Amino acid sequence: MLKPVSNVVIVGGGTAGWLTAGVIAARHQGRMKSGFTVTLIESPDIKIIGVGEGTWPTLRSTLEKMGVSETDLFRHCDAAFKQGARFARWTTGVEDDGYYHPLMLPQGFHQVNLVPHWLEDEGGRSFCDSVTPQGALCDDGLAPKTITTPQYQAMANYAYHLDAGKFAPFLQKHCTEKLGVRHVLADVQGVKQAENGDIESLALKQGGEIVGDLFVDCTGFASLLLGKTLGVGFKSCSDVLFCDTAIAVQVPYAHPDDAMASHTISTAQSAGWTWDIGLSARRGVGYVYSSRHISDDEAASELMRYIGPQAKGLTPRKIPIRGGYRETFWKNNVVAVGLSSGFLEPLESSAIVLVELSAKLIAEQMPANREVMDIVARRFNEVNHYRWGRIIDFLKLHYVLTQRPEKFWRDNTDPATVPDRLKDLLQLWKYQPPWFLEEFDRLEEVFPAASYQYVLYGMGFRTAVDRDDNAQTRSLARQQMQENAVMTQKMRKQLPKNRDLVRKIQEYGLQPI
Amino acid sequence: MTAMTNIVLLDTKAHRDLCVETGASARFGDARRFVPVIVGEFAHAAAHYPILLSKDAETGGFFCGAMLGIDEDENLFLTEGKPFETYRPLNLQRGPFFTAGSDIAIDLDNPRVGSGQALFGADGQPSLYLKSIMNLFRDLKTGLEQTRVFVETLLSLKLIEPIDIGLSFDDGSRRRLEDLYTVNQDALNALSDDKVVELFRRGYLRAIYLMIASLKQLPMLAQKKNARLAG
Repeated sequence: MLKPVSNVVIVGGGTAGWLTAGVIAARHQGRMKSGFTVTLIESPDIKIIGVGEGTWPTLRSTLEKMGVSETDLFRHCDAAFKQGARFARWTTGVEDDGYYHPLMLPQGFHQVNLVPHWLEDEGGRSFCDSVTPQGALCDDGLAPKTITTPQYQAMANYAYHLDAGKFAPFLQKHCTEKLGVRHVLADVQGVKQAENGDIESLALKQGGEIVGDLFVDCTGFASLLLGKTLGVGFKSCSDVLFCDTAIAVQVPYAHPDDAMASHTISTAQSAGWTWDIGLSARRGVGYVYSSRHISDDEAASELMRYIGPQAKGLTPRKIPIRGGYRETFWKNNVVAVGLSSGFLEPLESSAIVLVELSAKLIAEQMPANREVMDIVARRFNEVNHYRWGRIIDFLKLHYVLTQRPEKFWRDNTDPATVPDRLKDLLQLWKYQPPWFLEEFDRLEEVFPAASYQYVLYGMGFRTAVDRDDNAQTRSLARQQMQENAVMTQKMRKQLPKNRDLVRKIQEYGLQPI
Repeated sequence: MTAMTNIVLLDTKAHRDLCVETGASARFGDARRFVPVIVGEFAHAAAHYPILLSKDAETGGFFCGAMLGIDEDENLFLTEGKPFETYRPLNLQRGPFFTAGSDIAIDLDNPRVGSGQALFGADGQPSLYLKSIMNLFRDLKTGLEQTRVFVETLLSLKLIEPIDIGLSFDDGSRRRLEDLYTVNQDALNALSDDKVVELFRRGYLRAIYLMIASLKQLPMLAQKKNARLAG
């Protein structure tokens, strides 16, 4: 007889655990009355690592599908808007060196590739400003919508900056109260496996055991089920991405009404980069660096210099990081989501979006029974290998085009440290700019071709232009760029300041329609 | 509220000789396209205007309003120098007055203040006009709260939907009216019996059908606009 999969057990109660629980429980709500269960086991003592306070726009639909109110997110997680990232001093390192990676696609992206047209006549404007209003909106510190825009809807595409330490308990409340997720506060003491390696049940230190059909490992760096129990190895990517240490501080605002950037500010430093994230209640600031290139003390003083007078009295918290991912993500009846599956420096806020994508894939492809689980697992592994590989390529792209002189940056441009696929693409892009057709054809590509365009041309990369080839689409391209200019003007006038809208949302809330 | 206001509590002594113009005119602020109305006014308003929902620009909250015009600052029912013949919503009738708690306040910088109807009689007692204003605010205050609860009920039952109004006029111009909402009739028809009875008992079903019926005023409003465009 076929063994149905109807009891999902998630181990670990951080952002990954609760997001996965919420996504699966929301998707399978209808089956709950016939015995489908989602159980989350969380240790009463283990502290949550608040990874990445930056998110991707996907989180909006993920939360909406879970039935979470966006107003509550703003009220309970110190959330604020994020419209992309500004990479400061990554190219030359001089004072005004910087570019945006916004969240909006270039104007008319699906009709025409504006890159060759912009290259032909830059008109004194950056690529970003030529094709989207979002860089200008960030420059002005504007919100991506108004108080009359319904919840989760946008005028300019957006994600959130949020307090991950508050996000997990917020999701927990929603999952247990609204979605029927069972919450077990206990430590996993032993794992009982079947002959084929499948996990049958987990023994709890506080007594009792939890049986399940599918186990989701959200135990963070510990990787209790996939790594420790099933012995799946870890594939480091330190040969490509050198950062192995992070230090983080919470910087208070001098005044609660201080302006709040509506984008992440990522500034290149001597041996890595700093993040600067505006939450409604404070800023989250940190330095991700390569310990081979700088000492902890030097890194700490570099971070304090970046923060300036506000740094007084703050002590950075050190977080060792290990870039890389598991050789397999789903083995037997165990699938890893979140840090247990791997970690990458938060340069492009990939952590939470990877959790969302994995959770969604598990929820959508939920194997009906144990017999088909291996097929689903194989597909899941394929997709995830592809995703992690592409993200590493994309992160590396930020490093390879730099002209900065420090050893950390020179080492980064060493061809031996660049993945082959990225090397090929860089070669190809000298003659044809990335677009969405050929290279990026995967469903739910984490970083679409537009992201590559913003980084490449933001960092001064140049692709050869064929004027005759441009002639075919020139008038369409001009029209799109004009439309962008008009839209930019309009939105700059229409949109409120990020701080003002966040305060209004906290006070009045957003409407459901 | 603009900076051009000077709102003070109405004072029997200080404002004893104050007069207020009650007629309708653009210079008095009657040229308004969308005027908030309370549920108690729906029957009067629906006889002339479409009653729709819109969002407050400050809070994003929904409110009900009567549409008096198509373009900004346009009241198609207003003819300068002539009395306002159709129903005049309380929010236009109130003139320069406000409430401050249980007291009445007046904006002394409002262009209506000067000549016109006296607020107090020779004996210092409130005039009939001022009494009517006091009554108006009594209705308005309770009405605002009732209307807020009514709108909240519509929202919680998912009965509000955006309405897309595109108009073409004989002079070739077009208008697209945005940020307007109405009752979703499919959602209304799909309500369970107990919900329908509840709406009926609370008087909301009547208000809902008045809103739906008032949509028939839209073409009339467009006709008025058309006539005005033709000059």
